[in-house]
Amino acid sequence: MRKKLVFIIAFLSIIGTINAQTSKINLAIKNAPLSSCLSAIERQSDYTFMYDNTIDVNQNITISVKNGSLPSVLTSLFGKTSIRYEIVGKHIVLKPKSLPSESQSRGDNRISGVVTDDQGQPLPGVSVLIMGSTSGTTTDMNGSYSFSKISPNETLVFKFLGMGSQEVKVGNQSQINVRMAETVNELNEVVAIGYGTVKKVDLTGSVGAIQGDMIANRKTTQVSQALQGAVAGVMVTRSGNAPGSGATIRVRGVTTIGENNPLVIIDGVPAAGLSDVNPNDVENISVLKDAASASIYGSRAAAGVILVTTKHAKSGELSINYNMEYGMEKPIQTPATASAVRFMQFANEASWNDSGNNSNEYPLYAKDVVDNYATLNAEDPDKYPDTDWIGLIMKDYAPRESHQLSISGSTKNVRTNASIGYDKTDGLFDNKSYERYSVRLNNDITINKMLSATINFNGINTYNNNPATDPIYQMLTSPPIYAAIWANGGLAEGKSGDNIYGKFVAGGFNKSWVTRVGGKASIDFTPFSGFKLSAVIAPSLEFDKSKLFNKAVPYYASEDATRLMGYLSGHFTTALSETRNDNYNVTSQLIANYAKTFGKHSLNAMAGYENYHAFYEYLGASRDEYLLTAYPYLDMGPLTLRDNSGSATENAYRSYFGRIMYNYDNKYLLQANIRRDGSSRFYKDCRWGTFPSFSAGWVLSEEPFLKDNAAISYLKLRASWGTLGNERIGNYPYQANLSFLNALFYQGTTVVSEQSAAQIQYAIQNISWETTESYNLGVDANFLNNKLRFTGEYYKKSTRDMLLTLQIPEYMGFDNPSQNAGKMRTNGWETSLTWNDKINDLGYSISVNLSDFKSVMGDLKGTQFLGDQIKTEGSEYNEWYGYQSDGIYQTQEDVANSPKTSTSVKPGDIKYKDISGPDGVPDGTISAYDKTLLGGSLPRYMYGGTIGLDYKAFDFSLAFQGVGKQNSIYTAEMVEPFLNTGQWGNVPALIDGKYWSKYNTDEQNLKAKYPRISKTGNTNNYVMSDFWMFDGSYLRLKNMTFGYSLPKSVVSKLNIQGIRLSFSMNDFLTISKYPKGWDPENTGANYPITTSYVFGASIKF
Amino acid sequence: MVMKRIVYILSVCAISLSSCSELDLNPLSTGSNANWYEDESEVVMSLNDLYREAFWPKDSESYSDNFQSRSNTNEITNGTINSESSMVETRWKNAYKAIGRVNSLLANIDKAAKSIPEASLSKYIAEAKFIRASQYADLISHFGDVVYTEGVPDLAIASALSRTPKATVLKHIYADYDSAAMFLPTSYGSTETQRATKGAAYAMKARIALYMGDYAVARDAAQNCMDLKVYQLYPDFAKLFALTTKNSVESIFVIPRSVEFGSCLGKGGSPYLDNAGDWMTRNPGCYAGNNPSWELFCSFLCTDGLPIDESPLFNPREPFKNRDPRCTATIVEFQTRHLGYMYQPHPDSLKCYNFNTGKYVTNNDSRGVNQYASYDGIMFKKGIDDSWLTSGNKVDPDKIIVRYADVLLMYAEAKIELKEIDQTVLDAINKVRARAYGVTYTQTSAYPSVTTTDQTALRKILRTERRVELANEGLRYMDLIRWRLAEKALTKPSYGMLDPADLRTKIIKTGLWFFPEVPSIDEDGLPDFTSMYNKGLIKLLAIRSFDANKEYLWPIPSKDILINPNMTQNPGGY
Repeated sequence: MRKKLVFIIAFLSIIGTINAQTSKINLAIKNAPLSSCLSAIERQSDYTFMYDNTIDVNQNITISVKNGSLPSVLTSLFGKTSIRYEIVGKHIVLKPKSLPSESQSRGDNRISGVVTDDQGQPLPGVSVLIMGSTSGTTTDMNGSYSFSKISPNETLVFKFLGMGSQEVKVGNQSQINVRMAETVNELNEVVAIGYGTVKKVDLTGSVGAIQGDMIANRKTTQVSQALQGAVAGVMVTRSGNAPGSGATIRVRGVTTIGENNPLVIIDGVPAAGLSDVNPNDVENISVLKDAASASIYGSRAAAGVILVTTKHAKSGELSINYNMEYGMEKPIQTPATASAVRFMQFANEASWNDSGNNSNEYPLYAKDVVDNYATLNAEDPDKYPDTDWIGLIMKDYAPRESHQLSISGSTKNVRTNASIGYDKTDGLFDNKSYERYSVRLNNDITINKMLSATINFNGINTYNNNPATDPIYQMLTSPPIYAAIWANGGLAEGKSGDNIYGKFVAGGFNKSWVTRVGGKASIDFTPFSGFKLSAVIAPSLEFDKSKLFNKAVPYYASEDATRLMGYLSGHFTTALSETRNDNYNVTSQLIANYAKTFGKHSLNAMAGYENYHAFYEYLGASRDEYLLTAYPYLDMGPLTLRDNSGSATENAYRSYFGRIMYNYDNKYLLQANIRRDGSSRFYKDCRWGTFPSFSAGWVLSEEPFLKDNAAISYLKLRASWGTLGNERIGNYPYQANLSFLNALFYQGTTVVSEQSAAQIQYAIQNISWETTESYNLGVDANFLNNKLRFTGEYYKKSTRDMLLTLQIPEYMGFDNPSQNAGKMRTNGWETSLTWNDKINDLGYSISVNLSDFKSVMGDLKGTQFLGDQIKTEGSEYNEWYGYQSDGIYQTQEDVANSPKTSTSVKPGDIKYKDISGPDGVPDGTISAYDKTLLGGSLPRYMYGGTIGLDYKAFDFSLAFQGVGKQNSIYTAEMVEPFLNTGQWGNVPALIDGKYWSKYNTDEQNLKAKYPRISKTGNTNNYVMSDFWMFDGSYLRLKNMTFGYSLPKSVVSKLNIQGIRLSFSMNDFLTISKYPKGWDPENTGANYPITTSYVFGASIKF
Repeated sequence: MVMKRIVYILSVCAISLSSCSELDLNPLSTGSNANWYEDESEVVMSLNDLYREAFWPKDSESYSDNFQSRSNTNEITNGTINSESSMVETRWKNAYKAIGRVNSLLANIDKAAKSIPEASLSKYIAEAKFIRASQYADLISHFGDVVYTEGVPDLAIASALSRTPKATVLKHIYADYDSAAMFLPTSYGSTETQRATKGAAYAMKARIALYMGDYAVARDAAQNCMDLKVYQLYPDFAKLFALTTKNSVESIFVIPRSVEFGSCLGKGGSPYLDNAGDWMTRNPGCYAGNNPSWELFCSFLCTDGLPIDESPLFNPREPFKNRDPRCTATIVEFQTRHLGYMYQPHPDSLKCYNFNTGKYVTNNDSRGVNQYASYDGIMFKKGIDDSWLTSGNKVDPDKIIVRYADVLLMYAEAKIELKEIDQTVLDAINKVRARAYGVTYTQTSAYPSVTTTDQTALRKILRTERRVELANEGLRYMDLIRWRLAEKALTKPSYGMLDPADLRTKIIKTGLWFFPEVPSIDEDGLPDFTSMYNKGLIKLLAIRSFDANKEYLWPIPSKDILINPNMTQNPGGY
């Protein structure tokens, strides 16, 4: 009875626990009963005593302690008695010192004990198993258990979900009390879900979670880039790696024809994108992949949701952290182009092929010039230039640096985390750089038991500097036979004024600044336990400005540096144009949350309201024909050639949402969400959409038949269904907006400009929400004490009423309108497998993920043409669309007897198959009727993974990423000769020796990989066909980091908590079938993909 | 205390609730058609849109045998035009955009009718019809049968429309032009904005009738235009096209350009897509990439009115001498001032005179110096003068859609084809020719007047007259198409000078500069250079190609064919 009472007291004392670890005990007892002393200790600490009637608490004792710690008090108290004590959690268990072990003395092999968590709270529901047998028991509500018969040779295994299992040999003990510690286990990770958090173990939907340190370790300036290959089902693609550039993110592929960017939520508030946050500020990221997880964001969640939680201070923490990184970026590779002599030979051959200059094989560049070019160049480099355009413009490497200072501290009521970061990355050519300042301040304030608040502030400022004319395309296509710089040092003409070096080096700049500041204030009111009411207001302001100063670039005669020859193309006059964008948006939320546990039932209900309003205003101004080129300010330009422009838009959403999560005995998990959204983008009768979802989870490993399984630590099955909406089709497509321009008229002989108006789009008034319905099945299984973890998911998504910009007949005279027309289906799966373990001091982990999806278009009520790609019923999303090739024509006879695209086709051109015609049968000619679907263009079997090792003070990690299958094409930049405006460009070196040519033998021509060199033939040869397709799969080593943490003994002398040094390499090895000089993520004239080498140091005080 | 806090919390909640946003939002800075066409200014603004340059396309001179650009060809001249060519799609789409906007205006103009005076209302309707007729005219002349609509069809109906025979479309075009001519003013006051006129409706009607071979209608429409007596030939042919001659008395319908308002030709590069720099010589820093063809050069008659292969006045060593004045007004004569420099393409003229500095400088317009000087040695001069070199080479010549000389020649042509050869025919041709000589057509001794009344002879004279009068005005291509001469003219290669080394040995040393021989001119007025080429005295620059089985009509854009099963493609294997 007494024991029971003590237990109840003990239990109650847990409620209202205060941390008393540091509390000091004062006792002054003289010949009083032990019981009164115990009560005094209980009053002064948060510990309670447990004992049975074998303990004589009525014996008188004497003790005097001032500011004694609990252990010292207990030692001196019981030292002279026959009682010994044992601290179990928050309980102090008293036992007689002389008592022999129960099992031995009684011989009935009885054993009992209490299981607590690491806070000392009793843990009900812990399974206590006898190793190697199927018998076992479970702890009761008080965390206690007992076995009546047990051999001393047995070992007890204590298992509890989310905690490390423990094994205790029974031996001669009669009471085994166990304190279970939460394992550092992903199952216990708290994962952000919409408007709340949940332990991973309780998840029923499909959520990918990434810890912030993994993001920071990738050493990228953009969070989006760091996500590449990190999460199954999240496809991240880049196009080039210019300073500050982000990446495109697709969650579970594509679900719609329109906007497929996932919704980004930072600390609960919708944000413009991931570029708003510094990677070092990220605490964790959750990717909500299935409808059940995302539908709480209903309206805009169809393409998935990325939740970013930034770092908050932890209680009791006080630290200053400084991170710095220095590094450099080196281009992976740049494509090679033909030499001066080869270029002239190519040009001659093309002209010979097209113009048939009889026997003259040197129709453009004379034989003596071609043959003696090196000599001629040495004699007169102005007339016979040999320019290395890429070498002139590109540097070998670009430096980058990054600094981050963060301070974290807490008092009883306020926890603060503040950080300030600075990044700078230079470009691989002059006038190109990226700089970013970021500030973030997160405050958590506890006012009293009922009231707490959060005040966050964040600011980011980025500065992008670019040359007025981007040099990359022209640099890659300019032939070497045009001069960039005259021998006298002045800028040369290039090709008819197209001297990209001159334009780039002297043509001015294009700078842009983005400043975003945002804040979030929330007040949480907890009137009674389990119920919380939160009011949130989060404004965000953005101010952008840009300044394009396009300078006139004169060039002078090679022989006379004073003779003005003209201006480089696009740089005839000096003009300044500036823009300003003022945007703001405000999100306000009211959220009620109620959590309650009744016995084995636990319930969490949430209801909320959210309001969002955004406003955008643009202002532009310019002047032209500046006389001076040193003053990039509007004032300095002439009054006559000024121009200005302005526009504004706004949009708003209003949403109501709710969620119920139910959990029975940690075994059965149910969740239901609903969200109702109204968008200003639709007509008022079609404005509202409702998006429900349900999900369920079954933790099989909690069931008796698996609970005792030593191999399976955790097994959960999940299933979900839900719908999501999408309305991202620009503002007000239901209205036929008018576009205003100007038309010129004469008044007499004076030209006047008058405003004009036209309806450009065909408006469809009842346009409304597009809906994506999705099913998800998932399994989470952990084996071998959670060392091996597996997650698998299968999903099916179908989108209906898809907002499509369908091709309408061009003779209707309107731009293609958005309409609720199409259907599409996406099926996919994802798996991830992780293993981590420790061998002595060597910790290691391997994690891989693999995913795939395929999107097939349903009835679209039409077709969408995208140049080389198409979306039509039965096609994949953006499937390649073109001719089927049939090799290269070898003979005139073959040409004459084959259907062809035009009469200009000659041997050496690509031959196509005559598939169809106007009447559905081959018509003897190659035309648009012969185009067919050629296979999907999107990557398949995307994979990624990391390998981590740590040994004492050293750590190592390696991340890789790749695509298992992709239909890629040789782009025009890769293989098309003379590619440039007016077809004067250079010839890619990779076709040299591999193209069909009259100079080849018939055998060589049979093996030719590329068509003949021709300008006339381009219309035939470089249209989309399977001739140009190849396997674009690749494997890329994304990141490798070595780290070393200085020994504590060293740093502690310096009053430093820790120092870590690291070296990282990014994108340092790629294996693919892409032609030399090209990269799977850079298939056109883009800024190259770079390898980064970064040294980092972080110091924690 | 607690109560106070609760009140505080609730008020925060209330604030956040009350910041509930309005969802009935409208575009802030653009209008919407829901409340459009409600007053006169909205009608006028809608009409204004249709006068934008994009809706008045012209065929490029590069489609024709008047033009050559080094060894380049384009989709028309190399015969690779197809249903996916962007030039085809743009032409088709823009015409239908204008038609759609006219139809929308005509369907809604009743909404504004009350607030617009009767006279203005009918004028606006007339303008709209003029524009619609002109768009359909451009469509049927290029595409043949096209989709014809007058209303704003529902998407489902529109998606199943089929092509209307061009003869039927032509009747609608006539009706629109007739209706337009009835209500459009003859002219506008000098303070009014000048929009479509009666004369423009007649002239454009004459043009499409002529293109369709409907000569009687063409004759009458041209006659109507002439009878208005508001147009006359500008006295100075050479100055007619200068930047300083704006909206001349000869202009019937022009689209103005303006550097100030950002509508102009530029020297290349954004934002001006039309390239002015290729039309200018290299010495002042331009590119000399667009050149008159030798065929055009040789088509100008001699001052005796005879073609160069018949006239004793023609000297191939001095090809500019004794030629119709339009020859040197159209093509830069050697050893004359052009764009500030002495123009001389001779391969040994390594220096040339700079008129601005008075110094001799390197002659970049000689192939002996610069690889990219004109490949055939000649450059266009028509309209191009020193004023093109200001404002960063941005230039704003009028985009002349139709001018009076064209109307006179259309009248003459229609009558010749109708075999109604009378004095009015000869007068019409002579007026145009006499203006070139700077005299009146009655001063028959001062210029080689046309006197023959033989249909065949007159046809050849008329065709040559059109070629030289309207050179580089974007009309030659359609003339070749409708005369069905394209299969002949556009299958001849284009020629130019030999490369400098060969040129020196084979032409200069032998004294054969400039033309080694006199080319023969055939019955269609087309010069032939085969003999010189066969002797290796000139260089073949580019082979032209034209498939007579299909290319007299452009292909219907493939998108419309693929989405509408009722649309048919033009024959010949597009």
